[in-house]
Amino acid sequence: MMRVGTPLEVERGQAVSIIVDGVPLPAYMGETIAGALLAAGRRAWRRTSHGQPRGVFCGIGLCFDCLVTVNGTPNVRACLTPVAAGMVVETGSKP
Amino acid sequence: MTEQVEVAVVGAGPGGLRAALAAAEAGAQVTLIDSNQSPGGQHFKQAAAEFRVRHPSRHQGEGQALRQEAMGAGVRFLPETVVWGAFEGNVLALHGSQAPAALQAQVIILATGAYDRPVAFPGWTLPGVMTAGGAQVLLKHQRILPGRRILLAGTGPLQVVLAAELVRAGADVVAVLEGARLFRESAPHVGALWGQWQRLGEGLSSRLTLFRRGVPFRPGWGIVAAHGADQVESVTIARLDSHWRPIPGSEKTLACDTLCVGYGFIPSSTLSRLLGAEQEWRPDLGGEVPVRDRHMQTSVPGVYAVGDGAGVGGGPLAQVEGEIAGIAAAARTGHGADGAEKAIRRLDPMLARERRFQRMYAALFTPGPGLYEWSRDDTILCRCEEVTQADVRRAVALGADSANEVKAITRCGMGDCQGRMCGQLVAHCIARETGRPVAEVGLFPPRPPIFPVPIVALGRQTVNGPAGGVAELARR
Repeated sequence: MMRVGTPLEVERGQAVSIIVDGVPLPAYMGETIAGALLAAGRRAWRRTSHGQPRGVFCGIGLCFDCLVTVNGTPNVRACLTPVAAGMVVETGSKP
Repeated sequence: MTEQVEVAVVGAGPGGLRAALAAAEAGAQVTLIDSNQSPGGQHFKQAAAEFRVRHPSRHQGEGQALRQEAMGAGVRFLPETVVWGAFEGNVLALHGSQAPAALQAQVIILATGAYDRPVAFPGWTLPGVMTAGGAQVLLKHQRILPGRRILLAGTGPLQVVLAAELVRAGADVVAVLEGARLFRESAPHVGALWGQWQRLGEGLSSRLTLFRRGVPFRPGWGIVAAHGADQVESVTIARLDSHWRPIPGSEKTLACDTLCVGYGFIPSSTLSRLLGAEQEWRPDLGGEVPVRDRHMQTSVPGVYAVGDGAGVGGGPLAQVEGEIAGIAAAARTGHGADGAEKAIRRLDPMLARERRFQRMYAALFTPGPGLYEWSRDDTILCRCEEVTQADVRRAVALGADSANEVKAITRCGMGDCQGRMCGQLVAHCIARETGRPVAEVGLFPPRPPIFPVPIVALGRQTVNGPAGGVAELARR
């Protein structure tokens, strides 16, 4: 739930801002949407049809638990999708 | 459009990269396909391309070198390409911005890798519970920690390595639970460690890190349940008996915000099964794997399988198998056939050494049958469709006795993950309920598309040419 590495060890990509549910969230180029959400302390960002909270589980694109809507495209895997400046992310239940 | 190629390699991890390189060096025209942006797979996972890391790990350095060698040898790489189906006649259906709709290959080498074995216990769908592999990728690729107070539960040396990496990155690792009881069982296998200096070094330095930071390592312990409202707040653990069943009365509850679960790996063998390759059930290799000859060829002529996807054995074994398959594949397409057998024989000692390590790993770290009894009736087995153990048991009581029948009644395995998460869990549940061996129950039969793709991908053949899209592919 936090970014690690001193500037001597790692230099992140360019600082950008993505819009998550209408609110700007800081991120760095090279991070995934899931990475940026976790770094901001968000663990659960979807509800199943039974109302259960879900977030990242497999982390490698196989379980489809971390789905978000990106720039209007639904069912995008947050764990695989890199952030981009101004990207609009909507969390919540699966459409 | 269906494109004709000589050698298609699916998966650009250590096995696929090595196979592609060997085939290309022998003179074959090679297309390497991967769903990620750059080659390397999970084993050689690099930091994000936009990051600058001062001291890449040894794995990352090795992966970088192998990838440059393969590209230098003329391998054509199709990034961000999903293989969503495989059809008779060595046809692979693809979806990716730079990829043709389908490839027909003289030889297919499957190097599809493996993924963390999902284990169902009460609370395993709570956010904060994640796979050990997922946590490692987050750390390696993005230098982000999955949580602050982290409990690791699983089996095998990889979780010790992960625990040390998390500690070094500043996480508070509560404990590392190892399901196996190592000391009694490891003595007969000491010989298999000969020559595994890199692994021994990594293992020792990780254990030393954990020891210095006072992180408890508990062999013979496992998970009972994860608790929390909207995310993990604590985890109940217990001592396991020799079958990996929790011993009543030994429970303890630990506060943490993250639980990393790593009970070994499941081979991704779906594509070989779709191509009609004969499979066998090998718990020691992770589950269902294709039967292969000594050139790594499956029962389908021209279809080879290497690495973890053909039986979990780790990166170095994947590389040896990949090289063998690459040489054999090139020979099959008329390149370097003369020296092929000799070149393959030269790899025998390395293959034998890695197979010894694989056998030791399997003997020590194959989970006991109790692992599949950690779920309760109200525990979800299929995360996508939210099907519980009780639902599966009810279907069996109604007379369903195969995974496919249970799927038809309950919808388990029909979700986005296509049964990758629940396949073995459901098979074990059916086996238990019917008293039949898991090998006989088997997994859900895979059906394309094996990954969700936009509907337009299924029709691309029709759009781009005279062929009849999916219908045409399916008829072949």
